[in-house]
Amino acid sequence: MDEEYDVIVLGTGLTECILSGLLSVEGKKVLHMDRNDYYGGESASLNLTQLYRKFRPNQEPPKELGADRDFNIDLIPKFMMANGELVNILTHTEVTRYLEFKQISGSFVYRDEKISKVPASEMEAVRSPLMGLFEKRRAKKFFEYMQNWREDDPSTHKGFDINTGTMAELYEKFSLEPGTQDFIGHAMALHLDESYLERYARESYERIILYFTSVARYGKSPYIYPLYGLGELPQGFARLSAIYGGTYMLDKKVDEIVYDASGRVIGVRSDDEIAKTKQVIGDPSYFPTKARKVGKVVRAICFLKSPIPNTDDADSVQLIIPQNQVNRKHGLVLAIVSTIVETDNPENEIEPGLKLLGPIVDKFVAVSDLEEPIEDGTKDNVFISRSYDATSHFGTVCDDVKDIYRRVTGKNLVLKQRAKTEDENTS
Amino acid sequence: MASRKKVLLKVIILGDSGVGKTSLMNQYVNKKFSNQYKATIGADFLTKEVMVDDRLVTMQIWDTAGQERFQSLGVAFYRGADCCVLVYDVNNAKSFETLDSWRDEFLVQASPRDPENFPFVVLGNKIDMEESKRMVSQKRAMTWCQSKGNIPYFETSAKEAINVETAFQTIAKNALQQEAESDLRYDNFPDPIKLDNESNNNNDGICLC
Repeated sequence: MDEEYDVIVLGTGLTECILSGLLSVEGKKVLHMDRNDYYGGESASLNLTQLYRKFRPNQEPPKELGADRDFNIDLIPKFMMANGELVNILTHTEVTRYLEFKQISGSFVYRDEKISKVPASEMEAVRSPLMGLFEKRRAKKFFEYMQNWREDDPSTHKGFDINTGTMAELYEKFSLEPGTQDFIGHAMALHLDESYLERYARESYERIILYFTSVARYGKSPYIYPLYGLGELPQGFARLSAIYGGTYMLDKKVDEIVYDASGRVIGVRSDDEIAKTKQVIGDPSYFPTKARKVGKVVRAICFLKSPIPNTDDADSVQLIIPQNQVNRKHGLVLAIVSTIVETDNPENEIEPGLKLLGPIVDKFVAVSDLEEPIEDGTKDNVFISRSYDATSHFGTVCDDVKDIYRRVTGKNLVLKQRAKTEDENTS
Repeated sequence: MASRKKVLLKVIILGDSGVGKTSLMNQYVNKKFSNQYKATIGADFLTKEVMVDDRLVTMQIWDTAGQERFQSLGVAFYRGADCCVLVYDVNNAKSFETLDSWRDEFLVQASPRDPENFPFVVLGNKIDMEESKRMVSQKRAMTWCQSKGNIPYFETSAKEAINVETAFQTIAKNALQQEAESDLRYDNFPDPIKLDNESNNNNDGICLC
């Protein structure tokens, strides 16, 4: 590793791997290191042995749970919107060629102590218990408005400007009930809290349209998921980076980030080797003094004997519990419950979620810090990613990728089709 | 007879850096050889259609993309392999001695359901070099292969195209047998989705109302 690189990337989480891939494709010389002996960092998918090593280092996984190969347990659960930005990045870089996906059977929302499916089609909306008869008519008008809205055709705006009016005002215009607002805001626009109501409606408009176009892509729900767990995603982008010359070192200690007298980064030290570089990108865990805590997330990974009650025995589901509604998997089902921590007793906060799961065979709980960089890297050429948040999809990860890309390269990310290499024959 | 589904075989090539993995692939698929060594850049996987016992199959041969240099091939690389090709350089004893750990690494990472019977093929490459440089004898290599459950062994030259075609015929045949057996015994996931640019994008006419 005693060489000179354009960029050294620390940590193989999804954000880092996408950036590594994009920069290698552009011809940058990249060294990519991780202290773990597996890809993915905080966003890895672990097998049983790895899961136990992480949560219960003194215990062997019970034999009856099955073989390692049957488990890919995501440390951070997220689904991909079928029409979202991550799919866009995947298709343009052709990382899709390394992956297979599965459609998520349904998205459900918790309301008034009941679980209901978020409508994915006209038929489902008409049958949905989420709304009464008159409310359905109002909601229908609201969705029609959303879908017919065109920037350049003021007649579709119906006297409301989504760029200057708030979402709360838009709901009011259609007289939608609080419960309907809840499922539109949280289960379709996927907002984490209620603050979106006071922001301009355009943000929610775009999210709701993304929801619709994603449902339209495969039908049952807007979500897709890599067949062998989310850990496939960083590995796909790492392969892309390697194919374009990126050097990979897993299981490599990072002892020191080396700076010159003016505080600019010049290298990374591992034991007595120093790799020289102009820039460093990495996740917050590699820069304890350069990142700050902004919150905590609690996640509970649970093994169940049967599918989650009231979800029509769907083999894969997402269940959203809006903030308002809590006043605050072979014979095995895997369920992950997560939320932003607000009290001193995080496990209590996910209790309402755990209750919905039915009997739990075993449960692994982790509380992790949410961190963000203190500075933007202009002074020291160190560019730090944000921790993976509690959102259920990859919107915020893609935003972070674009933001870091812009700071590292000085230009905006423009996705281009990956060029065919000379040697590649057509399949 | 009912038409059989199209078969795609995943073959991965393992071995130390510089033993000729990429060259072997290139010789077999593109009939090309370049003397200029570059640590693998740009090679991803190559595909080739082959006839195996009157059956047309597509073989997808995956290169390590250089990630083997510091033992940093992730589990995704190994997943679903139907045959594992182990390559060493007959003029480099160390590259032969590490075959053991490459084989172990494969069995751990890919964790095939039936590790005893999983098809490996060993290639001793660069036999075009002068005899005086040779460090690993044919006998030594064959003894090792026998001790690991009779792994088929070929001595090849990617440069002179010696034995490359024959070796890959065996690889294809053994991969197909493996694929057929695992298909019979285990349920695969129903209807996985492949994403690409053109597919399934019927964006118009969405309507929830």
